[in-house]
Amino acid sequence: MSAAGAERQDSRRERIVRQFALTDVIFREVSRLAAVVVLALLGGVALSLALGSWPALSTFGAGFLTTESWNPVTEKFGALAPIYGTLVTSAVAILLAVPIGIGIAVFLTELCPRPLRRPIGIAIELLAGIPSIIYGIWGLFVFAPFLQATLQPFVIDAFADIPVLSSLFAGPPYGIGMLTSALILTIMVLPFITSITKDVFDTVPSILKESAYGIGCTTWEVISHIVIPYTRVGIMGGVMLGLGRALGETMAVTFVIGNAHRVNASLFAPGTTISATIANEFTEADGVLYTSSLIALGLILFFITFIILALARFMLMRIDRKAGA
Amino acid sequence: MSSVTYPRRKLTNSIMMGLCVLAAAIGIAWLALILGALLYKGIAGLSLGVFTQMTPPPGEAGGLLNAIAGSLAMSIIAMLVGTPIGILAGTFMAEYGRFSRLTVIVRFINDILLSAPSIVVGLFVYEMLVVPMGHFSAIAGSFALAVLVIPVIVRTTEDMLNLVPNALREAGTAIGAPRWIVIRSVAYRAASSGIVTGILLAIARISGETAPLLFTALNNQFWSSNLNAPMASLPVTIFQFALSPYEEWQQLAWTGALIITLTVLGLSIVARSLTGRKEDR
Amino acid sequence: MISAEKPATQTAAGPAKIEIRNLNFYYGETKALKSINMALPARSVTAFIGPSGCGKSTLLRVLNRIYELYPRQRAEGEVLVDGKNILDRSQDLNMLRTKVGMVFQKPTPFPMSIYENIAFGIRLYESLSKADIDERVEAALRRAALWNEVKDKLNASGLSLSGGQQQRLCIARTVAVKPEIILLDEPASALDPLSTAKIEELIDELRADYTIVIVTHNMQQAARVSRQTAFMYLGELVEFDDTSKIFTSPQQKRTQDYVTGRFG
Repeated sequence: MSAAGAERQDSRRERIVRQFALTDVIFREVSRLAAVVVLALLGGVALSLALGSWPALSTFGAGFLTTESWNPVTEKFGALAPIYGTLVTSAVAILLAVPIGIGIAVFLTELCPRPLRRPIGIAIELLAGIPSIIYGIWGLFVFAPFLQATLQPFVIDAFADIPVLSSLFAGPPYGIGMLTSALILTIMVLPFITSITKDVFDTVPSILKESAYGIGCTTWEVISHIVIPYTRVGIMGGVMLGLGRALGETMAVTFVIGNAHRVNASLFAPGTTISATIANEFTEADGVLYTSSLIALGLILFFITFIILALARFMLMRIDRKAGA
Repeated sequence: MSSVTYPRRKLTNSIMMGLCVLAAAIGIAWLALILGALLYKGIAGLSLGVFTQMTPPPGEAGGLLNAIAGSLAMSIIAMLVGTPIGILAGTFMAEYGRFSRLTVIVRFINDILLSAPSIVVGLFVYEMLVVPMGHFSAIAGSFALAVLVIPVIVRTTEDMLNLVPNALREAGTAIGAPRWIVIRSVAYRAASSGIVTGILLAIARISGETAPLLFTALNNQFWSSNLNAPMASLPVTIFQFALSPYEEWQQLAWTGALIITLTVLGLSIVARSLTGRKEDR
Repeated sequence: MISAEKPATQTAAGPAKIEIRNLNFYYGETKALKSINMALPARSVTAFIGPSGCGKSTLLRVLNRIYELYPRQRAEGEVLVDGKNILDRSQDLNMLRTKVGMVFQKPTPFPMSIYENIAFGIRLYESLSKADIDERVEAALRRAALWNEVKDKLNASGLSLSGGQQQRLCIARTVAVKPEIILLDEPASALDPLSTAKIEELIDELRADYTIVIVTHNMQQAARVSRQTAFMYLGELVEFDDTSKIFTSPQQKRTQDYVTGRFG
């Protein structure tokens, strides 16, 4: 190569090197910006909800949280009934889904014949992706009429004379209501809890299980004394994640909750949840205060789920670290 | 000693294992019931007309064409907006910013966003777009869906890029490639099936979302190609029709629900098979 | 020129290609290399040996500054390549790496075809015609003794090759960008004996044109392929001399203990 050719080559290289460096800076900064957008989204959600709910919160103050009345005509709004409905339906759903979910996870990891293990596991994970409106429509047309005709009258009769239970399951049997919503939520969060529980069960070192079997433990003893204590934090994380889902779930509940702004001790009574109230009333709400009250409900929901989800992530992070170590 | 307690322990074990089998049976049967009902009721109304006719007025026969088209349009726009942002953010977290503090924070916030109630996202977009614009619109609906798309893609992109061995990045760097070429030509390629999986899962996620559309895109009884006006979508139409007293509408709701479910299941299965093949290798 | 200020040190085997002066390296707070001083001759094979954790790979990774990919890793001191300090902040890293190539412990074919694996590096800094690139790809594959095995399937994935072939592909890829120095980080430790022999043969052939630095935990390998050997221990350079001297009459007790297998 001639000296001039080498020089040309060198200056070409230098130009390319400069270009590369510039592109690198641009790509890095653009991708950093995208990451910041993610933060901005959550910040935007919080900020817009806070601003939107200001008229309602400044009018009603802390009383907003403890007032049961929800009256668009007199413009007196309180969040007690939706909060109550949200918490009760989610709590019942979690109470039912956790034992069933753990049971299925145990079944899948310990009992299920090997060829069936993967298909069933995959089926359950696929079900976690089914849109909630499907559960809602099924709840409305199939499940609620079924409950109305069979379970509810039976339970109302059976518990009629027992003090606490009689008010918990007081009639008439509408079909739709708090319990129906809770049951629909149960089936919705079940795949979540099952698949996370199964995943954390898989993080138990097999040597630990083998040691326990080695000293003569039964399968149940291994699970209750070794597997569950070892994965406690991870299971809690999965449960919290499921709870977060249940609390924020809108469509499945909106179909079957009955949309009644009342705090009623009976699980058979129609009620409402925060998300169902917003979904049902938002487009029809007129007046600043009405809209603002609905947004304030959204803010409360956001606040509750944020805390629950943050706890869930924190717990799952801990089990990840344990599995990684 | 063991002979004294053993029968009881064995009985406990049998009971508990029996309960686990029962739990599995209940769970699986329950889910099977839902899918069974959906198939039974949905197929009854499935015909070509569903895909070629507009949503009917109450009491008349019709199809879901405008709702399906609206869902498609808004999903496509949402993906076009959300995918690049999601992939770029995931890229920052796994590549340029792998060791930075920002990444830890974004990962945490993104996970929250991933499971945040979608109706809250709807409220956010209502405040941000619908109120300033003064009316509901397909743009607002698309934006709400994009907000749901981003965290899914961020998460999968970051996870998949993190699975790319560092040795491969070092090898790319060692022949003199700048970071962005290593990312583009080596890391993205190695993680491509995983990133595509994330995109498919994001489509699956938004194709059934109803709550965030209720007060952003609203609904539209008619065909509309105006992005600045309310637009029909399959989930919102199902919601409206299912809660109506008209039998034709209820039937269309079931059929729409079936279409959504099949779409979502199809996407999830394709997405799974993409990553599944990679695990086998 | 800078080289005028810092005349190349003479080594026993000729003028130094790489000269390391007072090099310290840190992983965060931990000091991994302590005051390394050595001069590596051009067109010759130098081996770094020592027990694991002694810093031999760290030292190798300083020579092309690949450690810069990670935070909290930093080098102090001077590493002169052709008299120019590559640790200088003005040193462009990408240019450095086209000059100082590296082959890793495990084969790292890129997720693309065999042809693209090699053309990828060539195209980075040179705009050549298709025919020229074809020629360069073939030359590189021939250089790595891989051409005959892959010439009929250049479009197959690089991942479809066997482990030994993949490693030779990586060597071809490195050679293709025309480096002056090639760093080999335990290049045969993941390979079977037959593939290892092929790699060693290849190193022997490349020696005439490149300055080669190889890290190995296999002392026989060091003895077979290298002309100089550096023995490192706990981040320090214990002894650096002709390979034959290191293995037959080491000056340091620790070197002798190690090469005779008494520890490590």
